Amino acid sequence: MFWPFLYTIYLSFFDWNMIKPTKEFVGLQNYIEVLKDPLTYKVFGNSAVYIFILLLLNFTVPYIFAFILDFVIGRMKSFYKSAFFLPAFISLVVGSILFTWILNPVSGPVAIVMGWFGLEMPIWSKLDGWVIFILSLITSWKIFGYNFILLYASINGISREVIEAARLDNVPLWKIFFHIVVPMSSATGIYIFIITIVQGLQFAFTPIKVITQGGPNYASSNVIYHAYHEAFVLYRTGHSAALSILTMVIFVILLIVEFKYVERGIYYENK
Amino acid sequence: MKISKNISIPWHIAFLITIFLLIFPIVFAVGSSFTSLQDAYNHPLALFPLNPTLENYQAFFDSLPAIKIAINTFIIASVVTLFKVVTSFMAAYAFVYFIFKGKNTLYFMLISTIFLPFTVTMIPNYLIISNLGLSDSLWGVVLPQLADAMGIFLLTQALRTIPVSLIEVARLDDMSHWQIMKDIVLPLARPAVTSTSIWFFITAWNEYVWPVLILKSTENFTLPLALQMYISSEGGTNFTVAMAVSVVTMIIPLALYLMFQRYIIGTFTSSGIK
Amino acid sequence: MKTLSRFWLLFMAVVFLAACSDEEGDSSGAAASGDKVKIEYWHVNAETQGGKTVEELVKEFNAQSDTVEVVAKFNPDMYKGLMQNLQAEAAAGNAPAVVQIGWAFLDYFSNNFSYTEPQSIIDQYFTEDKTFLTDHFLPNVMDLAKNSEGSQVGIPYSLSNPVLYINRDLLREAGLDENGPKTWQEVQQFSKVIKEKTGKYGFYLQEPADNWATQALLESNGAQMITNGKATFASPEGIEAYSLWADMIVKEKTALHIGWDQGIQSFIDGNVAMLYTTIAQRSNVQNNAQFDVATVKSPVWEGKEVKLPAGGAMLAITAQKEEQQKAAWEFMKFLYSVESVAKWTKGTGYVPPREGVADAENGLKQFLEENEMMQAAVDQMDVIVPWTSFPGDAGLQAEQLLLDMRDQILGGTITAEEGLTSTQDAINELLK
Repeated sequence: MFWPFLYTIYLSFFDWNMIKPTKEFVGLQNYIEVLKDPLTYKVFGNSAVYIFILLLLNFTVPYIFAFILDFVIGRMKSFYKSAFFLPAFISLVVGSILFTWILNPVSGPVAIVMGWFGLEMPIWSKLDGWVIFILSLITSWKIFGYNFILLYASINGISREVIEAARLDNVPLWKIFFHIVVPMSSATGIYIFIITIVQGLQFAFTPIKVITQGGPNYASSNVIYHAYHEAFVLYRTGHSAALSILTMVIFVILLIVEFKYVERGIYYENK
Repeated sequence: MKISKNISIPWHIAFLITIFLLIFPIVFAVGSSFTSLQDAYNHPLALFPLNPTLENYQAFFDSLPAIKIAINTFIIASVVTLFKVVTSFMAAYAFVYFIFKGKNTLYFMLISTIFLPFTVTMIPNYLIISNLGLSDSLWGVVLPQLADAMGIFLLTQALRTIPVSLIEVARLDDMSHWQIMKDIVLPLARPAVTSTSIWFFITAWNEYVWPVLILKSTENFTLPLALQMYISSEGGTNFTVAMAVSVVTMIIPLALYLMFQRYIIGTFTSSGIK
Repeated sequence: MKTLSRFWLLFMAVVFLAACSDEEGDSSGAAASGDKVKIEYWHVNAETQGGKTVEELVKEFNAQSDTVEVVAKFNPDMYKGLMQNLQAEAAAGNAPAVVQIGWAFLDYFSNNFSYTEPQSIIDQYFTEDKTFLTDHFLPNVMDLAKNSEGSQVGIPYSLSNPVLYINRDLLREAGLDENGPKTWQEVQQFSKVIKEKTGKYGFYLQEPADNWATQALLESNGAQMITNGKATFASPEGIEAYSLWADMIVKEKTALHIGWDQGIQSFIDGNVAMLYTTIAQRSNVQNNAQFDVATVKSPVWEGKEVKLPAGGAMLAITAQKEEQQKAAWEFMKFLYSVESVAKWTKGTGYVPPREGVADAENGLKQFLEENEMMQAAVDQMDVIVPWTSFPGDAGLQAEQLLLDMRDQILGGTITAEEGLTSTQDAINELLK
């Protein structure tokens, strides 16, 4: 399991295109070039935008929805659960082709319906900002249901007594949510939070590759796609490896922060 | 729990809108798979086929060994799922209940690997597969998918919510770790194990990167790879056949899910230990 | 646990089924292959782009050959995808026997992979075919597969060129000549009129992840992508040509700026009147458009000579062992026979790379009579030039810079002049 990881570190010190018989040792040159390249910062910036939208749509919303479904909604519970989960069965390759067609800004059904109201759909695949938003939506379409189900299972497992008591005291819903439900489901919560960031960027890779190839002018590229682009489109293996290692270092620092500070506040039964 | 209707109605509406957004593309895909490509181009608004046809499915079944391909996909996804769930569960159990030196460091390093972009690990993994002589074989697709710390992470998080006192009591009763794992922890962690399995299965089912690299003959193809045969930038994508393949691809895990649904939903609502 | 055991049962049943069907496959396969030399043929042809024909040709070849058995491997994601797989295969120390190499990868491939020139294999083992290549291929066509050092890397196989597809119904509605525009200036005027009269977009020029169609636009105006190993596209002619396209999108808003799939979709459903793209899209357009559709030759710049880059791919031999190399040529010779090439053209929409096919009875005579839309592409064969492939290790990066430039110019953030000039400098810096 560690072998690919070590190999990547090794590669990040070489100038190589994967087939040349000789690898040229360049020391830290790859890292310096990656850090100097303005594209690196653009791509990291884009990744931050992706993460923000994905967290909103796939962490915050399903958290609230799971809570509401468990405590507020009486009827149709199992219908909602199944329906939310349905898109999770479909691969993002399919999703990307499907949305390319449905969201065609000139010819797609959505554009036509918007046209009835005199609205013009922006040509999102070529516009900065829009492109990340739409690609995030496509990604969310798939992972929303899975996150929802996990959060729901966790919230559902919370002891009813505390909440019943709070209810009887007429504590408002949002307070119950923030003061009881979130802390008590935080073990799953933190998991969803972390995978939404990590997996989210990896999942967004597919729509980026199928629909925009990172364009226009890298406006939709994220770190994962950019690492792929360097390695498998331009065949600059060393660059790609250096970028991957940098990405990983940033994430691991975040993880250490999480372990150090957030972890303490998390509710584990066996602590 | 009594909740007044007027709170729940706006939420029902919000849920239904979300569901519409989530389900519409699927309905559109299914509709398109029964439409001729010409109609699909010229009547983008028709959600249901104007002239229903099976030609897209026929095109798929005629040109590729579709059933063999579906079976391949199923075998790969099942093997990957079973193996990953079992090993992840055991690893998670060890991380939560065993005390050994360097445990935290090891756990931390394992979790770190999930942050590595998967694209850069492709070449080293490919070299391993090819050195093992597993090119163009189902095992070659299975193997690189097994190394995945995600399941360990998820299940560890789940096991940590099980009261450690339960385990201690069991230890006092002289139960072996194996028994504890099987009779106490597993039943309690069932929702997490079930959802992990489902997710593993779906992910392996839809896996595309490895089959592309490793499989060569159509006999060994998987469904996501078959889909690629209908997508081409230069010749144009055959949208409706692609949708037919997609429907076949999604219908199988969906059918499995429905078959076991009662059980699955059950695990999510009966974790009432507390 | 009941469910788990049920799942196991299902699983075992499926494995059993698979085992049974495997046995069938094996027995039939063993009978056919015997002691034949097995070679791999890597292609990119999806079902919509001749995948069926590849299968047919391979089957036919295997049936008639006693010594060679070909296995075709499909590579998704076009020539880039194939190159990636080839990369992985080479890293593992293997190689297929025959591969399709897209023109844009000509230099990259020849610099980094070990291949054998077809002629040298012929000279060594097949003296009877000594003149096969010179007899049947036009020199300008063979030149397409020569790299910047002059080595004949492979033989052109899938040949395409760009044509202008027109929606005659829309042209008539706008009161324009239904035979379409002849020059690029006319394309611009037509677009304006169409936008005014019908409200639809006038024009879409393909925007995939390459610069193929852009090269046609620029070089037909007398610009040169590359001269003596240096990028030279930012000449006044190049800037004039690029500006025309950019103006249509940014200023006049009569042309569409969108991804390739979506652009084609919008032409087919009648939202765009003219489409400039490869002839390989012919069957897709012809089968699905419900209006009066036609193709015309690539527009010219007034008083200038049209130059169209060849699209598609060549076949190169990457087999390493002698018997594999022999088998590779045997297979390729079969693929280049009149009948096979004719089948290939019918199945893919590519233009035949060799002579003696278009007008031959056992070739394409009847097919071309029935499919008028092919004619424009066949007529343009004499103005085909190589698709520029930037030399050296940084070649692919140079190509990428051009794509980045396209996004910026068409997005309206910089003018064509600024974009071309600065990109030319950047590329020359890279190629040093």
